[in-house]
Amino acid sequence: MIKLNVNGQAREVDADPATPILWIVRENLKMPGTKFGCGIAQCGACTVHLDGKPIRSCSTPVSAAEGKTITTIEGIAAEDGTLHKVQQAWIEAQVPQCGYCQSGQIMAATALLEKNPQPTDAQIDAAMAGNICRCGMYGRIRKAIKAAAGIDTAAKVEA
Amino acid sequence: MLKYIRAVALSSMLALTACGADPAPGPVEQIIVREPGAAPAVAVAATEAPASTLIADGKAAFANCSACHSLEQGAANGVGPNLYGIVGKNAGGVAGFAYSDALEASGIVWTAAELDSFIADPAGKIPGTTMVAGAIADPSKRQAVIAYIESTTAN
Amino acid sequence: MGKWSRRAFIGAGVAAGGALVVGIAVRPGNPIDGLSPLLTDGENEQLLNAWVKVDTDNIVTAVIPHVEMGQGVYTALAQMLADEMDADWSKVQILEAPADMQYVSDSIGRDFLFPNLQVPALIEPTVAGGILELAQAMGLQFTGGSYSVRATGQRAMRTAGAAAREMLVAAAASEWQVPAAEITTADSMIIHAESGKSEPFATFARAAAEQSLPAKPKLKSPENYKIMGQPKARHDIPEKVDGSAVFGIDADVPGMKYAAVKAPPVIGATIESMDATTAKTMPGVLQILNMGDFVAVVADGYWQAQQALGTIDTRYSKTEGDGLDQDAIFARYASHLDEAGEDGGDMQTEAGDITKGFTEAATKVEAEYKVPFLAHATMEPMNCTAWVRDGKCDVWSGHQAPVNARQAAADAAGLPFEDVTYHNAYLGGGFGRRSDSDAIIMATRIAKATGYPVKMIWSREEDTAQDHYRPSATSRFRGGLDKDGKAVSWDNIHTHLFDPADAPTIPHYNIASHRIRKVDVSMHLRFGPWRSVDHSQHGFFIESFVDEMAHAAGKDGYAFRRELLAKSPRHLKVLDTAAKMSGWGSALPEKHGRGIAFVPSFGSIVAQVAEVDMSGPKPRVTKVYVAADPGFVVNPDGFTAQMESGIVYGLTAALYGDITIKDGAVQQSNFHDYPMLRIDEMPEVEVTLINGDHERLGGGGEPGLPPIAPAVTNAIFAATGTRVRELPIAKHDFA
Repeated sequence: MIKLNVNGQAREVDADPATPILWIVRENLKMPGTKFGCGIAQCGACTVHLDGKPIRSCSTPVSAAEGKTITTIEGIAAEDGTLHKVQQAWIEAQVPQCGYCQSGQIMAATALLEKNPQPTDAQIDAAMAGNICRCGMYGRIRKAIKAAAGIDTAAKVEA
Repeated sequence: MLKYIRAVALSSMLALTACGADPAPGPVEQIIVREPGAAPAVAVAATEAPASTLIADGKAAFANCSACHSLEQGAANGVGPNLYGIVGKNAGGVAGFAYSDALEASGIVWTAAELDSFIADPAGKIPGTTMVAGAIADPSKRQAVIAYIESTTAN
Repeated sequence: MGKWSRRAFIGAGVAAGGALVVGIAVRPGNPIDGLSPLLTDGENEQLLNAWVKVDTDNIVTAVIPHVEMGQGVYTALAQMLADEMDADWSKVQILEAPADMQYVSDSIGRDFLFPNLQVPALIEPTVAGGILELAQAMGLQFTGGSYSVRATGQRAMRTAGAAAREMLVAAAASEWQVPAAEITTADSMIIHAESGKSEPFATFARAAAEQSLPAKPKLKSPENYKIMGQPKARHDIPEKVDGSAVFGIDADVPGMKYAAVKAPPVIGATIESMDATTAKTMPGVLQILNMGDFVAVVADGYWQAQQALGTIDTRYSKTEGDGLDQDAIFARYASHLDEAGEDGGDMQTEAGDITKGFTEAATKVEAEYKVPFLAHATMEPMNCTAWVRDGKCDVWSGHQAPVNARQAAADAAGLPFEDVTYHNAYLGGGFGRRSDSDAIIMATRIAKATGYPVKMIWSREEDTAQDHYRPSATSRFRGGLDKDGKAVSWDNIHTHLFDPADAPTIPHYNIASHRIRKVDVSMHLRFGPWRSVDHSQHGFFIESFVDEMAHAAGKDGYAFRRELLAKSPRHLKVLDTAAKMSGWGSALPEKHGRGIAFVPSFGSIVAQVAEVDMSGPKPRVTKVYVAADPGFVVNPDGFTAQMESGIVYGLTAALYGDITIKDGAVQQSNFHDYPMLRIDEMPEVEVTLINGDHERLGGGGEPGLPPIAPAVTNAIFAATGTRVRELPIAKHDFA
């Protein structure tokens, strides 16, 4: 049994310690918000936080998470359901299209703002360059990150 | 794409009228190891390529890497960081080396798989990395190099 | 914004899928009886017609017969319906329609397919004139071809909304004993001002459903649009930011196991032998299957299946594709084109006297262009979950043509169509790839062999190496200019591509004599529609050559195109708008350049100006200005997003996209050797939308793509004097 802390809850899984965290959260813990994209840490769709830092869960064995805290897309809203400011900014800027990469994008963005609340454009690019979006919503991602950081107000689309 | 859609539509409708056609082929060979829920047979460790050959290959291949990277415990960083014990470390985790912001922000933990994809295409994996040379395209060569790196730490 | 209702719908125990319900639903006298149980819970909801239901809380639900893959179709189509209905947008919900073939007979299918037959009377009332488009876009429930808004929306959703409104009004008029003409509607309310009566739609929903369907519901004219033309927030976005959106890969079936698969690297080869000695001993492994055309490992977890699959030693049969390399493919194109010569090949269009045109031309220009194979690389790798048991089959995936998926599963399972339930989910990118059913068939075959539910997921490597590719192509041009530098002749011959047939044509350009021919070249690879299909290649070919002609004429690319479009004010306005936005003609720093391209496609007209910075080690696209006229823009923010998206998809391909063949097999495997544009290379994109013709709508998902490659290569030429005639740009050294 591997003891984990996922989104603030203690969890135990019976799995090969070499299993990537991605498959543990998706299959064993039934939290499918974290996505499989490439399996070799090239696309960022599987990004989760390990002790607050963004990691590529497809290439990080679950053994590396023992005694550490894993946070997934399912765990960043407040307990009362209030969305994280990055999630809110994502809606306001109408970022997602197909949406498949967005869990990873949002996890990368929340980690960036945690570490650097007022990132420059170059810092945003550097932090987000590991996350591919095939629908090409990079312009909106930049805008949403700045809005969440209070740097710029994203144009709001009427609900 | 008028024509295309029509083609799709047509094939679908034809398929409909051909209901009851032969099903797609079943397995040529079906090995049932066990049924779901049944207890697994005693697990046998996977046989792998003999480690010694792999490590020897990796040592030879690492010659190219040694221009920038040392593998000796305690040796100084070169153009690139000392790689002793790199497997399991966080990216940007070798003391005293001036990493790029991109690598430091990558959040990667250097597993063998991570190293593999990084060495395959450093700038592709971490745009902004200062590792501009030394990519190894051949997957078996990468595997050998990584095995060698791991072996030096294990010893 | 209305609460997303998809899960509530599934929760009500109704099978999800798509809708082949057009004919039945609008049939006078039999509007909804059969359909109603599938779409409503029977208690609080009333189906008014095929596309709309109203519940007791006055929630209007738009039933959308298309799939959502990020293009925003749910929202745009709901806007069209809700506007005509005078619904309160905040109380509009969206539901993906269930497809159920029992509502469509073979005869309707045949009528859809063969428009020369008499138009079926039973669908005449609402779709007069739109039969062909409907059959293609909606009848078979295909999402692609940038069709949804311009066909389904324009022809069906608006009509359905207007019909629903008229039925509600008729019901109220009857109950209140007042003339229908005195009744107005607004914000989901029915109002009779004179008597001061007003009731929500819901009050009359049941009575309305019993009214006969209006034969020709009156549609609004643009000045009365309230919801159409507004930038409404997409309904599918909230669940795409909290991880709750369910994609095909997220299917969760009790007792489900996982399959990893590997097909022969050379398409067409079969498995000659498989050595699974090691795989059999690996943890979690349940079954190892040699399916003849691929190997599958079924295990308790996907990673376990993948690990075991990696240890299997497989021998493949020889094929005719063996030994084929990329250079040989282009050589084959060249030899076919050479063989066709001056007058051979299949004629596609011809106008004027091409021989005379060339004889009289003062200046002649010739060029040859090449584009590579491309993979789709959807972020969600191909996958499908299937369960075949007791003469029934359930299939879960994300597919652009759910009815086709269901049929494919039925064939693979050897079951009748009606015994298959197809559950469609969100598509993690479609781009044309998810219009093919190969993954559906594979998963169904695996599940049939195991007897228990199996989720099959392709690795990224399989997804890259087993795609249905965008074809590579070679295109040759000869052009003639008169003594004033005006284009007078245009002669093009290219290797055959895919579709649509109008992609290589230039009806918008006024060139006196032109001729367009193709040659067919056979290939062992599988091809499929790739976002914007043939426009992705021909846009590059045509707009590169127009630029070369402009240069030969000593003219600026924008001015030269203006001459060619002089007789077409609507086209000209789009071109002028993009040029003006970009400050065309103003000075740029050294080693910077501007390029313009103009491609009408899928009913929309798009011009783009790209700015490149060639001062660094590789080309950098800094800005893209877009002017687009799709007739009328239903959701400006959504349409703008589609332009941005098309540009990134096309720019990725223009800069990097290159699937190459060695010894018959695809050489690329993952994002390290099939690179994608990333955020640090994202240009600023500025979009201006033009409503040029509200009667004839164009598409949004694809038309943003074709102009970007030539806009960039034309800009590179402006900056460096080097003409890029072969994509991708990364192949070229500009130092």
